[in-house]
This record gives sequence, structure tokens and C-alpha cells, in this order.
Amino acid sequence: METVRTQDVSVNDLPWKIDWRDERCTMCGSCVAACTFTAIEAAMERRSVTISTGHQPEPAQRHSAVPVIRQRSGTAHICVGCGMCEKVCPNKAIRPVRNEDNRVNLLTRAGGVAIKRGGRNNIMADRVLDKVIVGRISQMTDPSLDSERHTFDVLAPFGRVLLPGELPFTVNGDNLELTAKTPPVHWIYPLIFSDMSVGALSTRAWEAIALATAYLNEKCNIPVRMSSGEGGMPVKLLKSEYLKYMIIQIASGHFGWNRIIKAMPHMVTDPAGILIKIGQGAKPGDGGLLPAAKVAEHIQAIRGVPKADLLSPPNHQGLYSIEESVQKMHMSLNAAFKFRVPVAIKCAASATSVSVYNNLLRDPYYICGGFFIDGLQGGTGAANEVSLDHTGHPVVSKVRECYLAAVKQGRQGQIPLWAGGGIGMTGNAAADAFKLICLGANGVFIGKILIQLLGCVGNERGRCNACNTGLCPTGICTQDPRLVKRLDIDKGAQAIVDYMVAFDQELKKLMAPIGNSSLPVGRSDALVTTDKAVADKLAIQYAC
Amino acid sequence: MFKISTLNGNERMSTQELLQAINAALAAGETEYEIEASGQHDIGGPLWHPEGKPLKFIITNPGQRVGSMCLEGTEIIVEGPAPADVGWLNAGGKIIVRGDGGDTAGHCAASGKIYIGGRAGTRSGSLMKHDPLYEPPELWILKNTGSFSFEFMGGGIAVVCGYDSEQFDSVLGDRSCVGMVGGKLYVRGPIQGISAKDVKIMPLCDSDIAWLAANMPQFLNEIGRADLGETLTRWEEWRKVLPLTYDERPKKLSADIRSFRLREWVQGGIFSDVCQDDYAVMGLVAKGLYRQRIPVWENARYNAPCEFNCTASIPTQQRFNLLREGKIEEAYRLVLDYTPFPGSVCGAVCPNPCMESCTRGEIDYPAQINALGAYSAGIPAPTPAANTGKKVAVIGGGPAGLTAAWQLARKGHQVTVYEADDVVGGKLEQAIPRSRLPREVLLAEINRIRDIGVAFQTGVKVDREMFAQIKAGYDAVVVATGAHVPRVFPWPGHERIVKGLDFLKAINRGERPQVGRRVVVIGCGNSGMDAAVGAYQLGAEQVVLIDVQQPAAFPKEIAHVEAMGGVLMWPVIAKEITEQGVVTATGDLIPADTVIITVGETPDLSFLPEGAPLEKGLLKPDHAYRIADGVFTAGDTIRPGRLVDAIGTGREAALAVDAYLKGETFAAEAKNKIALTRISKAYFKRLSETEIPAAGEDYQRCISCGSCRDCHMCMKSCPENAITRIVKPDGTFAYVSDDNRCIGCGICAGVCPCGVWAMHANAKPIPMYTMAGIS
Repeated sequence: METVRTQDVSVNDLPWKIDWRDERCTMCGSCVAACTFTAIEAAMERRSVTISTGHQPEPAQRHSAVPVIRQRSGTAHICVGCGMCEKVCPNKAIRPVRNEDNRVNLLTRAGGVAIKRGGRNNIMADRVLDKVIVGRISQMTDPSLDSERHTFDVLAPFGRVLLPGELPFTVNGDNLELTAKTPPVHWIYPLIFSDMSVGALSTRAWEAIALATAYLNEKCNIPVRMSSGEGGMPVKLLKSEYLKYMIIQIASGHFGWNRIIKAMPHMVTDPAGILIKIGQGAKPGDGGLLPAAKVAEHIQAIRGVPKADLLSPPNHQGLYSIEESVQKMHMSLNAAFKFRVPVAIKCAASATSVSVYNNLLRDPYYICGGFFIDGLQGGTGAANEVSLDHTGHPVVSKVRECYLAAVKQGRQGQIPLWAGGGIGMTGNAAADAFKLICLGANGVFIGKILIQLLGCVGNERGRCNACNTGLCPTGICTQDPRLVKRLDIDKGAQAIVDYMVAFDQELKKLMAPIGNSSLPVGRSDALVTTDKAVADKLAIQYAC
Repeated sequence: MFKISTLNGNERMSTQELLQAINAALAAGETEYEIEASGQHDIGGPLWHPEGKPLKFIITNPGQRVGSMCLEGTEIIVEGPAPADVGWLNAGGKIIVRGDGGDTAGHCAASGKIYIGGRAGTRSGSLMKHDPLYEPPELWILKNTGSFSFEFMGGGIAVVCGYDSEQFDSVLGDRSCVGMVGGKLYVRGPIQGISAKDVKIMPLCDSDIAWLAANMPQFLNEIGRADLGETLTRWEEWRKVLPLTYDERPKKLSADIRSFRLREWVQGGIFSDVCQDDYAVMGLVAKGLYRQRIPVWENARYNAPCEFNCTASIPTQQRFNLLREGKIEEAYRLVLDYTPFPGSVCGAVCPNPCMESCTRGEIDYPAQINALGAYSAGIPAPTPAANTGKKVAVIGGGPAGLTAAWQLARKGHQVTVYEADDVVGGKLEQAIPRSRLPREVLLAEINRIRDIGVAFQTGVKVDREMFAQIKAGYDAVVVATGAHVPRVFPWPGHERIVKGLDFLKAINRGERPQVGRRVVVIGCGNSGMDAAVGAYQLGAEQVVLIDVQQPAAFPKEIAHVEAMGGVLMWPVIAKEITEQGVVTATGDLIPADTVIITVGETPDLSFLPEGAPLEKGLLKPDHAYRIADGVFTAGDTIRPGRLVDAIGTGREAALAVDAYLKGETFAAEAKNKIALTRISKAYFKRLSETEIPAAGEDYQRCISCGSCRDCHMCMKSCPENAITRIVKPDGTFAYVSDDNRCIGCGICAGVCPCGVWAMHANAKPIPMYTMAGIS
């Protein structure tokens, strides 16, 4: 008999239960060796029984002790369901099973500490994008295009676009001549690899995404750009040709900018753009967070800080209004790159997004080159769970409202709208991108799906989400060399390249049937929904 | 001959009228048609003569789809150009256009021949097919085609002669052959923008030339350009386009990221200034440096619960391990390193806190450590170390003093014990009832102390003066005078109370102190029980024991008293002692003829010089049991406690004295109890009381918590065979895990019954990142 009390935490209180099959296990130890969370262990189990094999009760005692693999109880080593044990088991003898009746939310605030984790919102998995479908398919009215053969212009602006009347042209004989400099605009792929920092990601994971970016540009004719995230930039990349594919982010912590500025005289090309991060969809109103477990030496070097929990302030210190933001941050960053590099801004989707966009549209200096809106399904490497699950704003209606606000003023397309947060969450990023573009976005940005392509097993149903622990079993969100070295950079980049090449085809497969050879920005007539409320809110056709 | 002109002034026949007229003529058996058309569609098919005779059409100015769905036996000659869809779905007809063809010429043709004597428009030849029941369709074009030609071509033969097309970059237009999967295409002239993912361009082979050479004259004759025979048969100017076979087609993107990274990417990687990465990929299970965890054989690093709970720190698990190895003498002698009283204390009067915490007790019954102690009572003393020439005086010959003397003498010091009483033994001798501690056991163990050379000066009560003398005459002094002043509370009538210690001492001296018929004992500790038992033995009829709190005596002692008729009452607070007995705080009277008090004793330290560190009447030594230079203390003078506590501090004080004499620094050994979770109790069968072996065989039941029992389980369970057992030069063994084989799974730790193996995070650094920057 062992003494167990009702308040003892046991395995059935935990979110995942390890289903271990005695008869299949050879005690090879692989599962235990692979588990980064120390959630399972070997142990001996008593198998003492009294049996009877006679024709009448003839008790015989049989005692044996057998080795087992068991889950550790308690909250210090909770199984996150990553499934590495199952993956590595040669005999299909072990797997984590979701425990619906777990009490983990009642157990993991020990010491009065709020729950932190990575991943996405785990409650609001319901998405408007999945209720919207491409319903206007050109047929007899106007011919569809052939996605296989047609030339498509799959490009979106990054940078401030001027109205025709605002262009500084004069007529000189038969020629139009520019009389003044126009704001820099890059026409890039309508999908940006977004904002995962050096630090949040392992060196290998970050480099795999950068490598995929370069490959897609150089070899696949897909001019995708990558945003650095708020953790600085690798100096060697800053000094390379490939900088032209990179959007450098600056956020409230300004991490890594010393090395970026110092690299400026050595840059052989301009970066693709600058993105000022004001907020992010996963945790609006909250700053970045890099737990100390991930602040390894190189992170300390690039960021210029000691090993500690690195918290970015929720605000850019010293910015108190949109006007000030435009003037100070946009102007400074435009100036820093000699007005050659477009500068955009990223905010979490919010009830106030339209006001922000309206203000940006009035930017008299033409220095705001894009408005990135990040919805509540965006991911993060670390946040308070209460922020992840209970703050945020859906991105779809916000993009739509911003677009329509611009339309009302005749200024749509001037400050490109980019939408993100949960793009590709239900599997098809091209469909999400297409729908958002039809609603008014110029393009989308993706993050979580990129690391999922690298091998991240986390999902929106509470699986893994341990990006904050430094124990990432896939070597993606960790700085522990033992784990980082699990990640195959080439395979990872390959998966991203493959996905993007397929994405490109899929996007065209949606453009062709509606007869658009360029991106159907704002072509909301292409969309229908069977949800009346969604139809009303987004001003698209209701169908049933 | 059916001859028709479709224009009559400004009147034009509709397509329907023309086709109905043709149908009527056909039904009448007509075989030859000369049609002056004006753009009417679908002339020429699908038609067949009622008697199967061949049909021939000569047409000018047709509309779209001339010869569409044309059947074999039909020949159509268009004098001049024809618009879109010449020979659409041609099913066997011969269609000759002597001028240009329009868009989608030969679209979907699956048999028959189409000859175009000029250019053909966009998407010409698209979706041509070949029905294997028939000869393949042919589409001949004298000049060139528009863009998107031969899209989705699935069969048949097309020939584009490229005549008069020098002005074009590509005789096939742009983006030709997209989706082409079958058939073949002969081309003369430049090709650009052809779908490389679908087709390959190859030189002609002999059979190609043979076929073209055989068929070219007929084509040129039919279109009336026999003059071009020589120009168009310079075969080196020709090429053929074949669709890639199913196997040749890439099913998916074959990106080569690795080559790109190694050849074109930032050399060494973009982080190579702060990160040394060889890009080698580790599996989920790794060995050596890359293991997440490493096993550590922590033999005897943690104390077994018995050892931990014993204030004398007797490592009983080691005794059982020796017994298991058959080293019986050694096992029984080992205890003497910790106590000179294994028989008297462990085996008799000790409450055995060792057994209370024994892990085995959670399975069935604790290991019989008490009885094991008794086995060591008669073991001869080991030979002491060589004489150090140092002299130590021990004041007080009780458990603490004798233990200190024993330890010091074994270390080769010359020890003299000063005892106030006539015999040494302290409370063991004076106060513990003989029924609990057989005197012969105690005497034997005292003799064993004497045997190693400890001198006893009995009947010497040390006073201040004498203390000074002793101090001057010895290298070190241990004060172990115990606590012999019984505590009595100043209740009214307290002078009536018999002091328990005095009472017990008198009994042990063989006196028979007087007790009344009714006895009340105040204080329900073990001394209280001893007093109660003594009172019964001296003739008391009823003993009531009271306490202000739950009785602290051991259950065994309480049971003994209760069996004799004793009654324990608590909480009871005494207020007054009268002739009738004890009056309680609630005013009740507990009748008594004799009242004995056993609520503890305090030390008498009046012999010590001024300045001894005191706190609440007790000595307060430093961490090395020192109360003055060269003066140490142990036992009840520090804190009145159990016998084992006195033995524990006696030994430690001796070790401190030894260190002092050698000029070393004393540090008490830190004790860390092994975590119960490390122990594998599962191995051990739960035995019934009758199955319990004798104490000497209880090594079968001892788990050996925290100390390796040399069972080989780890070695035999290791999935990687990484563990070996080595024997060291001194004869001891150890288990070691080979870093190069071990995967860090922790099965060794999981199966270890004793909790010796532990898994630690692999702290060995992997040099990967740097702050300084790598040049």
C-alpha cells in the first residue's frame, strides 16, 4: 500500500497521459532519452499476485518486479504531448494521449506565478476565414484563366504608393519626367515570413527560414521577404547580398540595433524594408518576452544584454501618439537608410485599428510604407497564457474595415495593408491569403506555420506550446545546443521552399477561376459566406 | 456534282440552310460538292454516303469548323484560307486548306489528315489525340503557328515546316506544348518559350526522316507547293518535339538546399560570427556529449533512512551489505565504529528511530536493527590505533562520556574516565531498570571499553578545583556529566514528591525504596513508565500516571505499564500535592500515598570554571563541541535526550577532540537522507510475520537504501550495455557507465533498487555559441 492523498497531483490531473504498452516495450530507453521534458522515467513495478492453477482454490503466490516506463506525476515535469517518445519508439509502445479531464489549469500557478507558454490562442480556434469561400467562379459570364498557363502578376507593394495625381511628373515633349524623388516601393511576393526573433528561434531555425527566403528568390522566382523579428540580425547576413531579401524589425526593446547600425557602412545592398513593431496579435498591449533559459551567449552578444528574462516594454518608450510615431519612428528609420528603404508599421488588430490606419493615411511625408495588422491567432515564443487566450482581435474584419475606410477616401492601396495572425492555421495559407486579399489586404504574413514546416509539433489544441521553456524537442525554439542540433537546416528550409512553391500554385488556382491575373485586392465579390452575420460585417455576399 | 453559291445578291444562306441543302443532296446520293461559301460553319462533317462512296468537297470562303467531326472517306479542299477550328474533332477526313488556317486548327483531331498551306493560329493542334484503333491523325502546317500551339496534345503527328517564318522568334509561337503528354511534333525553324516541363526537343532519327520524306511530297502536292520539296527536306534543319514520358516528368520540386547553402549562401552560415555550427544533425537519441542526461553512480552519497535517523549515524545498510557478502565478523564489528553499546542501547533500550524510518517498514516490517545490535554485544574490541601519546580526560562515565572515551581510545589516545559513582555506565547503569537492560550485557560492553585501555577513575566527584587539575594534566577534557538534577515544580506540597531519577537509581542500587499502596507518577515519558514499573515491583497496588500532554513514552513501555494495571491520564495539570494525593487544576483529587515525578533532569555544571558558555542551564558548545580551549562536551549537558543522542554527540565530540589533538579542523559530517522516490521497493516481496528471517539474515529484506547492493540489475538492464562493474585496487567495486555507449535513458536509475544511480542534466558544455565573436 502506498499512501496517496486526494490533493496529490497524479498523472490523471495532467493534460497528457502516457499510454505505454508493456507487451510491446523492449526497454530500449529511446523514449526516455528523447524526452526533453523529463516527463517519463524508467521504474520497477511490483507484480505480485496470488493465483490458483488447481481444480480448486490452491493459492500460489507469484512475485515479480518488472521494469516499466512511466509518466512522472507532479507539475514539475508535465508531459506536453509533443510525441517525441512515440516518434522514436521502434515498437509503437508509447504515445501521449490527450486527457480531457485534466486539472492542469488549477495546478500550474504554484508559487503565485502566472502561466506562461508559447504558441497561439488555444481557445478561439474558430475562424471567420473558414466560413468564407470563393464563391464567384467565372464561367459563362467571363472566362476563367488557366492557372497552368496564364501569366500571373503575384506581387504586392511594400512601401508608400502615390496616387497618380501625386506623382511628380512633368511633360517634356513626348516624355514624362520625374521631377522629384518618390517614396521607395518594392513589389514583392504577397506573403512575408514574419517576425520571429533571433532568440525566440534557434540559430538553425532562423537561418533555415532565411535560407528558404534566399532560395525562393534566387531559384524559384518567388520574391518572398523575411522579417527579422525583434532580436537583431546576424551580422554576416547584414553584410551579405541576401540582405536585400530581409525586412529588419525594430520593436520596443530595440534589441540588436547596435550591430545593425554598426553594419550599415558595410552593407552591400539595402534591406527590403523596415518594420516597426508596435504590437503583436498574440499578446496585444504586452511586450516581447524572451525567457532567460533561451538567452545563450550569442543572444547576449547580438542583443547586448546579460542572461536574464528579456522583457520588451509594451510601448515604444517616448511614443505617445500616432502622429509622434509617424514623425519619430518612421522619419528616423526612413532617414537612417537615406529614404531608400520602405518603412512599415505592425500593430495588433484592435478596436482602434481603423483610427490608426486613417491617421497613417494622412501621413503628409509619404514615409509610412505599410500597415501590418496582426490578429489574435498569431503565435508567440513566450507570453502569459492569459494574454494569449483572452486578449486580441480577429484580423479579418479589421482588414476589411481599414480597406473600406481607405476606399471611402479614394486612398486604397496607398499604404499597403498586410494581414497576419493564424494564416494557414487550418492548413491552407494560400486560401487564407487569397480571401484576405479579396477583402482588401495587399498581402499576408506568416510565422507559426513556418516553424511548423520546420518540424514544430505545437498546435492550437494545447500540444507542446513549450517554446518558452528552452526545451523545444525539435530544436526550433531553444538555444540549447543539444536540442538545436536536432534540427536539420536543409530539410527545414526545403519544407518551407516546397510549401511556398505549392502556395504559389494554389494562389494561382484561386486567382484563375475568378479571372484575375493580378492580385484581386478588394475583390470581395469573389467571396461568399453562409453566415449572415459575417456577410453583413464584411459586406460580402450571403449565400445558402 | 452538287454546286452551290451561298450568296444571291445581298441574300446569304444561313449555315442551317446550307447544311440542310448539303444533307438533302447527300441523301440523294451526291458525292461531289462545290461550295462557294460565305462564312457558313461546320461544312464537311460528319457526313457519309448512303452507299459508302467517298465524298469530296471543294470550298471557298468557309466559316469556322470546316471539316469538323469529319469522317474517313471525306476529302475537303478549301481554296484559300479558313478561319478557326479547321478539322475540329477530325475523325478520319482529309482536309486541305490551301491558304492560312485560323486559330485552333486541328483542335482535338484524333484521326485523318489536315494540311494547311499557310500559317495556323493560336492553340493549333491543341488536344490532338490518337485512337489506337486507327492511324494517328496528322496536322501539317506549311508556315508557323500562333502561341499556345499543341497545348495538351495527347497523340498524333504534327509537322510545322517553318516556311516563310523568318520574322518570327518561334515558329510555334510562345508557350507551345504546355500540357503536352503524347504524340510528336516535327518542326523546322526557331522554337522559343516551349514548355520545358512538358517536352523535350531532339534531333531527327532515321525513322523520322524516312517518315517525313515519305509523306512530305503528298502534303506539298495537296497544297500546291511541290516546288518547296527541296527547301523543306534539308533534314538537319528539322527537330522533333516529344512529350516527356511519365517517368521523365519531375513529380515534385527538386530543390537542393544543401548545395545552395554550401555554394551560394553566406559561407559558414549567417551566425558564424557568434556560433560555431557544423550543421551535423543529431537524432532524438544521442550518446556521449549529446545525451540530455547522464547517469551518476552515487554510491553511499546519501544516507539510508536508518542511518539518517540514528543520531549515532550507524549505517546499518552497510552492515547488511557485509552480511550479504558473507562478511559476518566485519558486519558485526562495523557498528563499533559508531557506538560501544550496540547490545545495551541498539539491542535493548533504544527506541530505534532507525527502524521507525526503515524503508522496509513500508513493505512489511522494518529490518530488525535492534536485534542486529544485540549480535554485536559480544564482539571483541578491535585493536586500537598506535598510541598517540596524547592524554584525554573524560569527566562522566555515562553513555556520552564512555562513547567519547571509546572513540578516543580506539584512535590511540590515552583516556581516563572520571566517574562520580562507584561504577561507570551512567544512567544505563543507574536508572534503566534491569528488566529493560540485562546487566551482563551492559557490563560486557563496559568491559570491552576497558579492554582497549580506557582507565576508569570511579567515585571521583569532580569539583572546580579538581577540574582545574585535570585540565592541567591532560591534553584535552571532555565534559560528559549528563543531567542528574531532577526537575520538580514548586507546587504547594512539592516536598512530598519523590524524585523519579533518585527512585530509579535506588532500585538499581538494590535498595527497596518505600512506596505506598497508591502511587501517582507525574510525567509519562519512558522514565515515568520505568518508575511505574519499579513502583509495582516494590508493592504498589495502583499506579496512575499523569501528564499535561500526550504521553511521550514508547508504546511498548506504555503497554507494559498498562498490562501491570497502570492507568495513564492526560491532559492533567497538577496544582498541589497533599497528604491525600495530587490535586489537579480542575480541583479533582487523584489519591496517592506516594507521588513520583519524572519530568526530566538538568545538569549540574557547578564544577566548571566561570565563563563556560551556558544557555538555560545547558552548555552551548561551538560547532566542534568545544566550551573552552581543550575542553569539550557531549551528551545531556548540551541537551538532555535519548541514549542514542548521547552516543551520537559522544562520538562526534571525540572526533572533534581527535581533530583538535592533531591540529586539524573538525567538521561534522553532513547527513543527507536519500529520497524515498529513488528507492525501488517493487523488488521486494511483502512477507508475512512468520516469513521474517532472523536478524542476522535480514539482509534479505534490507533494501540497502542509497548504498549499492551489488545486484547487477543496472548492468543487465542497460539497453546499450554501457555499464560495467570494476574492482578497484583496494578491493572495493564500482559500477561505471561508458559515456560513448550511454544514451542517458535512465533505465539504470529506474531499476536500481537502492537509488544509487541518479540522472543528472548533462552539464558538459558544447562549445557552440560565443559572445566575443569568432573571426
